[in-house]
Amino acid sequence: VSYLPEERIRGGIGADEQYWEYLGAKEFRLSRCADCLAWLWPAHWRCRHCGSWEIGWEPVEPVGRVYAWTRTWYVFDQSKGRAGDIPYVTVLAEIPAADGARVLGVLAGGDEGLAIGAPVRGQCVDASPKSLDYPSLTWTLVK
Amino acid sequence: MAGYRGATAIVGSGQTPFYKRGTSPDAEVKLCLRAIVAACEDAGVEPADVDGFVSFGSDHNDGQRLMLGLGTKELRFGALSWTHGGGSAGAVGLASAAIVSGQADVVVVYRAMAENRSGRLRVAVAMDDLAAQYMVNGVAAPITRCGLITNRMLEARGVPRSTMTAMVRAAYYHARNNPNAYGRDADFDEDIYERSRMIAEPNRVYDCSRENDHASALLMVSAERARDLVDRPAYVLSAPTGTDLAWGGRNELNDRSDSFAGFAAVSRRLWAESGYRPGDVDVAQVYENTSGLGVGAMLDLGFCAPEAAGDFFRFENLIAPSGGLPVNTSGGNLAEGFIHGLSLVNEAMRQIRGDSPNQLPGASLSLVTGGPGDAVASAALLGTEETL
Repeated sequence: VSYLPEERIRGGIGADEQYWEYLGAKEFRLSRCADCLAWLWPAHWRCRHCGSWEIGWEPVEPVGRVYAWTRTWYVFDQSKGRAGDIPYVTVLAEIPAADGARVLGVLAGGDEGLAIGAPVRGQCVDASPKSLDYPSLTWTLVK
Repeated sequence: MAGYRGATAIVGSGQTPFYKRGTSPDAEVKLCLRAIVAACEDAGVEPADVDGFVSFGSDHNDGQRLMLGLGTKELRFGALSWTHGGGSAGAVGLASAAIVSGQADVVVVYRAMAENRSGRLRVAVAMDDLAAQYMVNGVAAPITRCGLITNRMLEARGVPRSTMTAMVRAAYYHARNNPNAYGRDADFDEDIYERSRMIAEPNRVYDCSRENDHASALLMVSAERARDLVDRPAYVLSAPTGTDLAWGGRNELNDRSDSFAGFAAVSRRLWAESGYRPGDVDVAQVYENTSGLGVGAMLDLGFCAPEAAGDFFRFENLIAPSGGLPVNTSGGNLAEGFIHGLSLVNEAMRQIRGDSPNQLPGASLSLVTGGPGDAVASAALLGTEETL
């Protein structure tokens, strides 16, 4: 059973399919070399550190801090599903437990205290037209 | 770099008018042909003698589609510089490589867009380059990504927002004198700018590049041939494309460098290959997908320290002819028009030749940058005979 839409979003290299599948199963996992244990994010097909082709997906507590953010006020051709949420905030969060991997997610809950460095916690969210029918992770500011 | 520095030159510039996106009266290939033929006429070269074709990004107009219109005697070299706007200045370097290595003698560098054929550029870039990680999370266009990067530059790196305002004001100021600028008559002042609609913070609509139907072309030959053809060739001193691992791959998801816009590697190569330093540059055409990333590119290239940005990026310092470093003297991507950044090379060449609409008297070193924030960056330094 796949949690992903039949037609995938183009543009990537396809190495992150398991990321979305795990989110669909309500698990937050990031890719890690099975041999040298280096965190590999964004996901790739080969470990650049040791040359291994064995890439695993490891559970990570979705806890981090805001590395960058933007608030979007415009509906683009491929974000029509979010038209009702304008303006919405997208957060790029840095996750210390995964060697500082940076993971994007829309901000859920209020934006009070939104600033670079603010602590955030992630939640797995079901696929919907907002997220182009992919399961997704949203971030919430930790008070 | 021996064998490359100053070995080629731009000798012809050709451009169609800038049209509102999707309204070109000509088909995209016809726009492309018009720009190429104009560049040839500018240089006194027969269009049929062009034997090399170089473009970048998602351009569809490969040489084989053009040759029956140009009468191309022999197509010897055709290549697309990989990546999007990041490759615009670097396409000049790719053409130089073809000429220096003897693979082609007369190379045209061009970019054409008629969006009723090729669709919205922002969609093409997003579909091609913004992977699911972005699209799922509402980062649905290049501008939104630029918002993430620029907010970080302002909030975490202490670069003031006034730097962006100064870049936008300089662009519209210069466009007023450019009869070809699409935005020359746009209502613009600081108040209009500050009240204009927000797109993706901190970018207001005036911080964002236009999208136009248009074609630009540059004709390039060896330095020896250039001297026979024209009075003032714009010699290519260096035109690197690339990135390093710290930025490479997916940049802000991965970036472990302290780069603002991905130019760290290109900056090292540009100054080493050309033998010049930022302070030597007379005039600069800076690719602005957004104003903030234009600022970031200049910081990466070493024009000032981040803590001095507020002083360097002042309107008065950025305008021709009186500023310390005039930027975007045609109006640039914001106010002249947008052909994925290539028209900035035409303006960089005009500054060397001496016929810019906002000419800097005596300009001898003229810089142009490719798209900032892209996965791969590029820049080109053009110079007069005296700079060789």
